[in-house]
Amino acid sequence: MASLDDPGEVREGFLCPLCLKDLQSFYQLQSHYEEEHSGEDRDVKGQIKSLVQKARKAKNRLLKREGDDRAESGTQGYESFSYGGVDPYMWEPQELGAMRSHLSDFKKHRAARIDHYVVEVNKLIIRLEKLTAFDRTNTESAKIRAIEKSVVPWVNDQDVPFCPDCGNKFSIRNRRHHCRLCGSIMCKKCMELISLPLANKLTSASKDSLSAHTSPSQSPNSVHGSRRGSISSVSSVSSVLDEKDDDRIRCCTHCKDTLLKREQQIDEKERTPDIVRLYEKLRLCMEKVDQKAPEYIKMAASLNAGETTYSLEHAGDLRVEVQKVYELIDALSKKILTLDMKQDPPPHPNTLRLQRMIRYSATLFVQEKLLGLMSLPTKEQFEELKQKRKQEMEQKRILERQAALESQRRLEERRSDLASRATNGEAKAAGRTDEVRTLQENLRQLQDEYDQQQTEKAIALSRRQAEEEDLQREQLQVLREREREREQGQAASLHTRTRSLDFREIRPFQLEPSREPRTHLAHALDLGSSPARSGTATKTSPPSSAPEPFRGWSGPPALGQEFLPQSTASPRSEAPSLNPFDEEEDLASPSAEDTANPPAPEPSLGPPACVLREYNPFEEEDEEDAVAGNPFTKPDGPAPNPFEEEDEHPPRTPASPPVPGNPFEEAPCTNPFEEESDGGQEGAEPIEEELLLQQIDNIKAYIFDAKQCGRLDEVEFKVPARLGWRNWLFGAVHLGAFPVTAE
Amino acid sequence: MNVVFAVKQYISKMIEDSGPGMKVLLMDKETTGIVSMVYTQSEILQKEVYLFERIDSQNREIMKHLKAICFLRPTKENVDYLIQELRRPKYSIYFIYFSNVISKSDVKSLAEADEQEVVAEVQEFYGDYIAVNPHLFSLNILGCCQGRNWDPVQLSRTTQGLTALLLSLKKCPMICYQLSSEAAKRLAECVKQVITKEYELFEFRRTEVPPLLLILDRCDDAITPLLNQWTYQAMVHELLGINNNRIDLSRVPGISKDLREVVLSAENDEFYANNMYLNFAEIGSNIKNLMEDFQKKKPKEQQKLESIADMKNVKRLLQNPRVTEFDAARLVMLYALHYERHSSNSLPGLMMDLRNKGVSEKYRKLVSAVIEYGGKRVRGSDLFSPKDAVAITKQFLKGLKGVENVYTQHQPFLHETLDHLIKGKLKENLYPYLGPSTLRDRPQDIIVFIIGGATYEEALTVYNLNRTTPGVRIVLGGTTVHNTKSFLEEVLASGLHSRSKESSQVTSRSASRR
Repeated sequence: MASLDDPGEVREGFLCPLCLKDLQSFYQLQSHYEEEHSGEDRDVKGQIKSLVQKARKAKNRLLKREGDDRAESGTQGYESFSYGGVDPYMWEPQELGAMRSHLSDFKKHRAARIDHYVVEVNKLIIRLEKLTAFDRTNTESAKIRAIEKSVVPWVNDQDVPFCPDCGNKFSIRNRRHHCRLCGSIMCKKCMELISLPLANKLTSASKDSLSAHTSPSQSPNSVHGSRRGSISSVSSVSSVLDEKDDDRIRCCTHCKDTLLKREQQIDEKERTPDIVRLYEKLRLCMEKVDQKAPEYIKMAASLNAGETTYSLEHAGDLRVEVQKVYELIDALSKKILTLDMKQDPPPHPNTLRLQRMIRYSATLFVQEKLLGLMSLPTKEQFEELKQKRKQEMEQKRILERQAALESQRRLEERRSDLASRATNGEAKAAGRTDEVRTLQENLRQLQDEYDQQQTEKAIALSRRQAEEEDLQREQLQVLREREREREQGQAASLHTRTRSLDFREIRPFQLEPSREPRTHLAHALDLGSSPARSGTATKTSPPSSAPEPFRGWSGPPALGQEFLPQSTASPRSEAPSLNPFDEEEDLASPSAEDTANPPAPEPSLGPPACVLREYNPFEEEDEEDAVAGNPFTKPDGPAPNPFEEEDEHPPRTPASPPVPGNPFEEAPCTNPFEEESDGGQEGAEPIEEELLLQQIDNIKAYIFDAKQCGRLDEVEFKVPARLGWRNWLFGAVHLGAFPVTAE
Repeated sequence: MNVVFAVKQYISKMIEDSGPGMKVLLMDKETTGIVSMVYTQSEILQKEVYLFERIDSQNREIMKHLKAICFLRPTKENVDYLIQELRRPKYSIYFIYFSNVISKSDVKSLAEADEQEVVAEVQEFYGDYIAVNPHLFSLNILGCCQGRNWDPVQLSRTTQGLTALLLSLKKCPMICYQLSSEAAKRLAECVKQVITKEYELFEFRRTEVPPLLLILDRCDDAITPLLNQWTYQAMVHELLGINNNRIDLSRVPGISKDLREVVLSAENDEFYANNMYLNFAEIGSNIKNLMEDFQKKKPKEQQKLESIADMKNVKRLLQNPRVTEFDAARLVMLYALHYERHSSNSLPGLMMDLRNKGVSEKYRKLVSAVIEYGGKRVRGSDLFSPKDAVAITKQFLKGLKGVENVYTQHQPFLHETLDHLIKGKLKENLYPYLGPSTLRDRPQDIIVFIIGGATYEEALTVYNLNRTTPGVRIVLGGTTVHNTKSFLEEVLASGLHSRSKESSQVTSRSASRR
């Protein structure tokens, strides 16, 4: 338990707000809080909880981007909570792995080969053409032979003693045969024959497909024409069969193979199997669905909402259309499934498998898509829907307008808050002038308007004050003279004077406390620099300070509590519902009266002044404000710094009648969590979250920078207690070890 | 760094590049496994891939209306099959993808076979490993070593697998290996060699901190695979065996037909995804309902084993008639590994007990084989933690008494190694770097490879490390993923024990055939 008696001790860490125990980590703090303090004030707890949840939500979003800035806190027992790393399933998407193409190499080798192959095939076909160009049946064999020999020179018989294919020796019985296409020699067994119809088919096909050759490579294609073009086909295939090979052409296996391959190519080119045609249709239908279905869904959703963007009839038509396509898909895939089923012999199992798979995937497709196809309202329903929508729209419009106004206001406040915070923190620490400049710019814009108002007011005020001051001075003079002998009363006022900078200056504000709260604060801050002294002094002063509440307030927080019962109730009635701590403090104050020991959860009360002055960069500015050192604020301008607004927020501020543009009213909103607690403002939430994230980013970036430069000391923010511990909590989540400073 | 995603991306790219139309996927035995790990049938059907064929299957019909996507390992046989295929093409057009580096001469012979100009694409896509989980891969090699040294075939396969992994993740790592293992050093050198040779391939965008490849040897931690692993995934593997995310339940009596082979895939099975790293005890009743059949199969004794890790009870336990011979042998192995150098080592007595119990010779030989495999002599680092042996023993023995969850007692040695690595405390004299340069910064992307196989328990460890360590991504790989049984086969296959040599060769051959 930190004690107030020892103001030198500053505690940092994840302190429990209720018992000030240091709990090392946010999660431990959370669980500690739930365990230990669950029985305590429901309301507070509930709010804290929701804050924590919210913070966590935001944190989860940030998790992916969370880098190393999470200090290794060594919370081993809490591994299951403190996931600093990333689940492998959540690893950020990676680019496609490395690959290497061999295609150009491949093509190079292939081109050489293909040229050779094409030349060979074409040579064979040209020869075939020549061999079939005359009427074989009516030509005598000697003449045929002569022609055949002229087409291709025959290999000399003596050169080939063995059949090159089977290796048998040629003899009288095993005679030599010549391939009519290449002139090589083989035995009868190894000889192949090409029938005239086949020859005809090959030659005519090459003529037909002069341009239709599907070779993907260009080079062989270009020569096809010249190689094959000159041939005119003659095909009077009269079938006069005799013993001779009149209707057939002898050739070797190699040539036959090549020609058969060619034939196969020709066949495949011409034939488009049924399944392909059906499948193409099927795919077209699927594409149509992919295109139409979303259109329909959009329409149906709109219609079901009662909108009149689309006509009901049109949507109905579209629905019918889409449904028809579905039916077609179903029918087509069924047809594919049963294709050639009854054929004899039955198709290859792979064909059947293919058909089954196509059917299956079509079924999957229909199932998946059909599910998303919602129904349309009937005409009557539609009318009802339209009516309903109209009403809703109207309501919504009203609500929206309100929400828009609300959120706009909020946004501005938030920004000024953010800006000043960021400016203060970052300007000093990181020196990132660019960012600071933009932030300042924002800040300035927002403040301009406010300032203008305030200046006007201030002018009026100061005029009045001046008058009053004069009056008072006179009165005071009189009073002093009269009471010079009454030493007792004098002692109290002297005491006060030592603490106040200049009684005279402050004096007027006492009369107009709510008008010039900023200066109050400045005063308070100055006083706060000697907390120990004032702490003791308070004990004596309170009784006499009743007529001068301000003096009491300017003391340390404990004093403030003592004043609670005395101060006017009006400010408090404004604030409590907004700040959960206020309530608690209300409860606590009677008992805390004399202990002079403000618990940590009430940082928004008084302590900031003394706690923060040395540590918090924000705070320095406060002081500077007071001495007109801050460039962002007009030295005499009334409190443009939102922090101060919050500072003054605590109800124990002396009597503060609500003034338009009074910072008291706005202060709660600077707390990002505030809205959550007062509910009913969902409209503003998205913006709020965004801002939060933005803010967090800023802070993170700053911390990161600071770390980079090794300025660790700067990373360790002292939590500005006046931000409210909700802010701190929030910060703690994102900044890792975010130390709290408590007295 | 997600290995499943890396492979999946390759496959998706292949399919996309082939354009619209009916397609057939032509694969070899290994690539079939690789593809099936990352794609489900219905998923791939939606991309118009309707048929899946093996390149070596003879019974393929000519279907010229199909496009063929060939995804093959660049082996000699595959190239030959492909040459035959191209000579007489069965499909209209071929998109050829090799899962690893293919030689120029192979490309040439393929090109020369493509007389009909059916090939439209020849590429290397480095999906040459089995992606089990996003952070876990395997090469499905059982029996990678002969004695202490690599089986040359498996070494080259492992090198290919590892380099493919690096390429698919676009990492050109620094290599660090376990000094005590000759095999680790050898593999590290081979990987380095490939990187040097294919330097063009390994030219990736430099990261600030280079990735790290850490090569370890199973023999450094023989304990982990001997213990039961208590996560869902590990349990299923231990009791039923997972092969390529598939469980073969066909041996379970009375199992319904569609449960013969169950696919466990986190991508598609939500329960699996949610629970695969959960402790078995935590899953408790959920699993009961869902995996009824394997509950039946789970031997009760096995469950008990780990809860009685107190070695003083070993003797008593051995006499328990309900302990199966397999488990009894396992128990003695654990004991032996642990008390290998202990003065009052009563291993001979325990061995006698085993014999008395009627445990077959095969298992008894395994005990000494395991010690040979993973004994202290071999271990480079002290498995049972260093310095104060007493404290460690205490910790180990205290083990399961008085601890709430007995199932998670054991922390694989890998955890410590990786922990040290991340913290920069890994001793360089035990885990030296290959080459002159060393990693000075905190490693970010780590690939750990365990020669001799990883376990699902280690996968869990790595998973947890990934989740708890910011800025660090770790991928674990092994020549295979072990359960106790397969580990013992691995030990046998290494043929370390002279007497078990004969049987080991049989095992290794059958294993490699699998």
